[in-house]
Amino acid sequence: MDYFAGVDIGSTMTKVVIVSDRIEVSLIGPTGPEHRKLANRVMEEALDKARLTFEDLTYIVATGYGRINVPFADRQITEITCHAKGLHSLLPSVKTVVDIGGQDSKGIKIVNGKVMNFVMNDKCAAGTGRFLEIIADSLGVPLEKIGEISLTAEKIAAVSSTCTVFAEQEIISRLASGEPIANLLAGIHDAVATRVSSLVKKLNVEADIAVTGGGAKNIGLVRALESKFGRALLVPPEPLITGALGAALMGKDIFAKYMAEGQKPTRSVNKLEEATFFE
Amino acid sequence: MAEEKKGRAVATSTAAKIPKFVRGNLSATLKAKEEGKKVAAAFIADGQDEIMRAMDIVPAWGESFSGVCAAKRDAEKYLQKAESDNFSRSLCTYATCNIGFDMMREELGGATPEGAPWGGMGRPDMMLGNGQLLCDPRFKWPQATQHYQQDVPVFVTNMYYPPWDPNADHHEQEAIYVKYATEELRETVKFCEKITGKKMDWDRLAATVELSDKTWDLFIDTYELRKHIPTPMDTGDAMNTMVPLTFNLGTQEAYDFYVDLNAELKQKIADGVGVANPEKYRIIWAAGLPSWFALGDFQYFNGKGVVFPVEVTYRGCEKIERLDLPKTNDPLEHIAWRWVRYWTHWYDAAKKRPGSTPKVERIIEYIEDYKCDGAVFHSAFSCRSWHAGIMQQAATLKKVYKDIPILIMEGDIVDISSYNEADTHNRIDAFIETLAAYKKRQG
Repeated sequence: MDYFAGVDIGSTMTKVVIVSDRIEVSLIGPTGPEHRKLANRVMEEALDKARLTFEDLTYIVATGYGRINVPFADRQITEITCHAKGLHSLLPSVKTVVDIGGQDSKGIKIVNGKVMNFVMNDKCAAGTGRFLEIIADSLGVPLEKIGEISLTAEKIAAVSSTCTVFAEQEIISRLASGEPIANLLAGIHDAVATRVSSLVKKLNVEADIAVTGGGAKNIGLVRALESKFGRALLVPPEPLITGALGAALMGKDIFAKYMAEGQKPTRSVNKLEEATFFE
Repeated sequence: MAEEKKGRAVATSTAAKIPKFVRGNLSATLKAKEEGKKVAAAFIADGQDEIMRAMDIVPAWGESFSGVCAAKRDAEKYLQKAESDNFSRSLCTYATCNIGFDMMREELGGATPEGAPWGGMGRPDMMLGNGQLLCDPRFKWPQATQHYQQDVPVFVTNMYYPPWDPNADHHEQEAIYVKYATEELRETVKFCEKITGKKMDWDRLAATVELSDKTWDLFIDTYELRKHIPTPMDTGDAMNTMVPLTFNLGTQEAYDFYVDLNAELKQKIADGVGVANPEKYRIIWAAGLPSWFALGDFQYFNGKGVVFPVEVTYRGCEKIERLDLPKTNDPLEHIAWRWVRYWTHWYDAAKKRPGSTPKVERIIEYIEDYKCDGAVFHSAFSCRSWHAGIMQQAATLKKVYKDIPILIMEGDIVDISSYNEADTHNRIDAFIETLAAYKKRQG
C-alpha cells in the first residue's frame, strides 16, 4: 500500500492528512514561530495515529503559508491549488471556494478540480480570522462561541469601520452605549461577510459555493456569507483540512505520473529529524 | 548585516548601461548652472522632450528621481517629510517623494540634502507641468512644489486626445485635439524662450523630432525581437531599457542605445539564448507601473520558467508608419499628431470587438503577437490615474477575449510599506500553478 501525506502550515494551525485509497488520518495542531519543529511534531502524531512510520510514506507535499519550512517534504505546492484539489475530492459539485484563514481570505474558482482563477486578501486583517479573534477578545467572548451568539441577535448592529483597529474601538464604544453583544457580533459577521464576498465576487461566482478554513467553523459567519451570496453554502465535514488533503492527493497524482512514465520518485528526506527555525 | 544584492543573471548587457543614463540625467541638473543652462522640472510622455532638448534646457525628471529613491529603498525619509506638511500617503508617491526632497533642499538654501540617492537632483529654474488624460498630479504637483520654491515659475499645459467613445467618430475629432495640443506646445516654447532668454532654433527642433521618430521606430523594431521563443529579453530588463526612450528622447545617445540593444537581442536569438531555460510560460505585463523597490520579483518569475516577452508599461511609442501621421512642416504639429494618434490608433480595432476598449485591444494584440499564456496587472495604490481602471480592464479582457489566467498584484511604485515579499511570492506561485492547469486544459 502506498501512503501519501499532505502538510498544510497555515498562519495559525498546522494540518496533516495521510491518504492511501482513503483518508487514513487527519490531524490539526497550532502553528508556532518554529514551523519546522511543529511540522515534525504534528507529522509524528499523525503517523502514530495511523500506525505508520515515516519510511512508510511514499510522497509528501507541503502547502500553506509555511510550506517552505517543511524540510521533509518532497514538493511544495501553494494552498490555492491544494484547497481546490482537496475540496473537489470531498464536494465535486463545488465551483467556487471561499477560504477564510487566520491571516488571509481568498476565493478560488474551480474547473474539474483545477484552479481556474483566484483572488486573495493578504493586505488587511479585516476579512480574516484574526479580525474575529480580536473582536471576540474585546467582547470577552470565547472565539468558538461568537457564531452561535450572533444568531441570537435581535438586529444587526452595523459596524461602519472596515479597519480592525477602528472596528475594535467602535465595538467598545457601542458596547458602552448599551448595544447587546449578540447584535454587535451579528454586525461584525456582516462586516466580514461583506468584505469577503466583495472580494470573491470578482471571480464571477458560480454555484455550488463552499466555505473552508477556520471561518467555516463559525456558523454566524457562514450564515452572513449565505445572505451575501443569496444561497446556501456547503461546508465540508472538517473545513480546516482541505488544503492538507489536497496536498496529499497532489502527491498521489505526482507519484502516479512518475510511475506512468516508468520512473519511481525518490524521497528527498528519509528521516524525520529534529529541526528548528533557529538553526 | 546588509543584504547582499545579486546581479540579474538574465539581464542583457546593454541594460547595464542604464545606470549611466540615469546618473547622467541627474548630474546634468546639478552641473547645469556652471554650464550656463536652465533646468526644468519636467514630466515624461507629454510631448515637451524635443522642445527642451532643442533649447538646451536640462530636464529634471521627478518621476525618475523618485523611482531611483524607491529602487535604492531610500524614499521613506522624503515621503515622511512630505507627510509632515500634510501631504497624504495616498497621493502619488512619485510626487510626495519628490516634494519631500524639494522641501529638504529648500531648507538647506538650495543645497542638495546629504545622502540623496545618486547625488540628488538640482534646483529647477522652471517647472513644466502638463495636465492630460493620463495623470492629474502633472498639474497639481508643480503647483504644490511652488509653495516651497516660490521664485520658480510654473507653466502648465494640457495635451488631450479624444476620449474613447465607441459611438463617436474619433477621426472627425482628432484634428481639433491636434490643433489644441499644437497651440499648447507653442505656448510652451514661448515660456521657455522667456525663461532662457533664447529663441527657438526651429531647424534644430525639426531635426530633433526627426531623430525621435527614428528612435520610436527602432525601439519597436528592437522590442519586437522579443517575440522570439525563447524570448531574449524580459520585462524586468524593459523596466530599465525604457530609460533612453522615456527620459532621453531626441538625443543621439538614446538612438544609439537601441542600436546596441537591437544587435544584442539578434545575437541572443542567433545563439539560442533565452531569459529562462526552459521557457515554460509567457506572460504579458498588461498594466501598471512596477514597484521600483521590488524589481527582483521579475527574477523570481524567471527562476520558475516564467518570462515576460512584452509589457504595455513604458512602451510609450509606436511605429511611425502605423500611426499614419498627416504631413506637416511644423514640428510642433507633428508632435501633436504623434501624441494624439499614439492613443487613438487602437480605437478602430476596439470598435470591431463589441464590449472591448482601446486598452484591452492593445493587450489582446500583444497576447496574440507575443504568444502569451496569461497576464499580470500591477495595481499601485498611490497612482490613481494609471491604475484605477485595471480591474475593469482585466474583467473586460476575460469577457471579450478569453478566460486566460490573470494575476493582480497589489503594491505601490515608491512606498515600500505596501509590500510584503512573502505574500507576493505566494501569489506568484499560485498564479504559476494556475497557468500550468490552464495550459493543460488547452492541451
